[in-house]
Amino acid sequence: METQNRLWRVLLLALPILVFSVLVIWPLLSSFYYSFTNWNGFNRDYEFLGLRNFAKIWTDRLFFNAIVNTTIWMVAALVLPTLTGLFLALLLDRQVRGARIFKTVFYLPICLSAIVVGQIWIWIYQPDWGLLNTFVKLAGNPDFNYAWLARPDSALFAVIVAWSWQQTGLSMVIYLAGLTSIPSEMLEVCEIEGATAWQRIWRVVIPLLTPSTVVVVALSMINSLKGFDILYIMTGGGPFNSSDTLAMHMYNESFKKYLMGYGSAISVVLFLIALTVIGVYFRQLRKVDEIYG
Amino acid sequence: MADVAVSVPARFNPWPATVFVALCILAALFLAPTAGVLLSSVKTTRAIALGDLWSVPDRIYLENYAEVLFNPAVHRYFLNTLLVTVPATVASIALGVLAGHVFAKLPFRGSNILFLIVVSGMFFPPQVILVPLFRLFNGLGLIDTLWPIILVHTALGIPICTLLMRNFFAAVPNALREAALIEGANEWQVLTRVSLPLSLPALAVLATLQFTWIWNDFLWPLIFTQSDDKRTIMIGIVNLRGQYTVAWGVQGALSLVASLPTLVIFLFFQRYFIKGMTMGAIKG
Repeated sequence: METQNRLWRVLLLALPILVFSVLVIWPLLSSFYYSFTNWNGFNRDYEFLGLRNFAKIWTDRLFFNAIVNTTIWMVAALVLPTLTGLFLALLLDRQVRGARIFKTVFYLPICLSAIVVGQIWIWIYQPDWGLLNTFVKLAGNPDFNYAWLARPDSALFAVIVAWSWQQTGLSMVIYLAGLTSIPSEMLEVCEIEGATAWQRIWRVVIPLLTPSTVVVVALSMINSLKGFDILYIMTGGGPFNSSDTLAMHMYNESFKKYLMGYGSAISVVLFLIALTVIGVYFRQLRKVDEIYG
Repeated sequence: MADVAVSVPARFNPWPATVFVALCILAALFLAPTAGVLLSSVKTTRAIALGDLWSVPDRIYLENYAEVLFNPAVHRYFLNTLLVTVPATVASIALGVLAGHVFAKLPFRGSNILFLIVVSGMFFPPQVILVPLFRLFNGLGLIDTLWPIILVHTALGIPICTLLMRNFFAAVPNALREAALIEGANEWQVLTRVSLPLSLPALAVLATLQFTWIWNDFLWPLIFTQSDDKRTIMIGIVNLRGQYTVAWGVQGALSLVASLPTLVIFLFFQRYFIKGMTMGAIKG
């Protein structure tokens, strides 16, 4: 029996593990390897630079800029979709009329591609007839034609808002799933004990939602590190690199300037950041499991 | 405060109405971006340029859709996207089924670690494997074909497919498997005749998720294809922006047409879609 099991394990796992190793694990490891080279993307040959690509990172003004922007993005991602998602989930948890339709509306953006989301929001921010400026004009500022995406001050935040619009549905879904696990008797007891609605939410519901919050925060941060498509279409990292993130910077160095060795060095940094976030996430998840599981 | 009213059941409770109104306002705000594109797609470029985008049109102008639907480039983009999405969706689910069965029913020493490694693959930014994959497919002479996109999506789908299939298979009672084995079935028959028929919802969940993600993808076709007749629809949207620079109506129509397959799937299989989203997120 056991020998048979062993055979089946090998037979069934061979293909998935092979594909995964060749197309994910191996490239991941070779990224480290190429980060020590000056491969240009076309020639077969390349030279070893040792740690020179990583030394260059320290002097690359655009890399520093990308780190700052990525951090801003991650912090915003930590706050915006989490809060809006929680707020919507709390509103929808009471059995309101039309809850199903509302839910559909709020998570509809998830199924759109980042390209289409970007396209939609380009129009919202369009200076002359975009929705945002149309509102500002109606509010009594008829000559307002601020170009949200063309100004270094606002471009990054404008993209983050568009991105949050899409992410909110995901946070909401996770919070709604978390809310179903809170026993209604507990809330009834609180009510009988005289807790106000406000106290119930702050002292009971939100603390009990901690497992969901861990998931939402981690997912938002991980997704923010991946953020590329929406930036590509909305700003291309500009103006003046004001919305350049690590993912974007890595793409530009590798596939615009063909500095694939240097691009790999940037991707190694990106990998290490992602690894840290995922490590903390798994640890928190285990801790949460111990307390709530 | 309104809070007081909540704890006194006999009195009028203003909360449901307040929540309902708040939700209506939020829903309107949430829908406004999409509605704007919908509105623009049935208006002339001139009307939009005159600042008439956000009003309800008195006449529906369908020329924008005709422009998109009769454009041979759009046909090509659609065909390419289908040729990538369908095989990659099927292949990634098939591989997830195989691996999921082992992790659920045939655990071995170290299988938990292996499972964790596979699953964590879904969290990493794709930029991390970009350069080596480009070199690999360049060396194989597959750049500017659809093959690398199909293969990479198959591989990147393995984490989520393995995760969901393992969780579903784990819920299939062991007694069923043992009974089948005693009857003389082998492991393959257990998987295909016992476990899979009981896990059809999982397949539906994965089919909706994978189809949507691969259809919507932009990065991999951007890296792996160059010529216009190998591009997928999301790249097509960006390419055609140049051709229809100020034809916002056409751009809007194109965005909607490109999103139609995923919108339809979402609206019809919403249950599965959401289930996949939450399962993938929480159990990860």
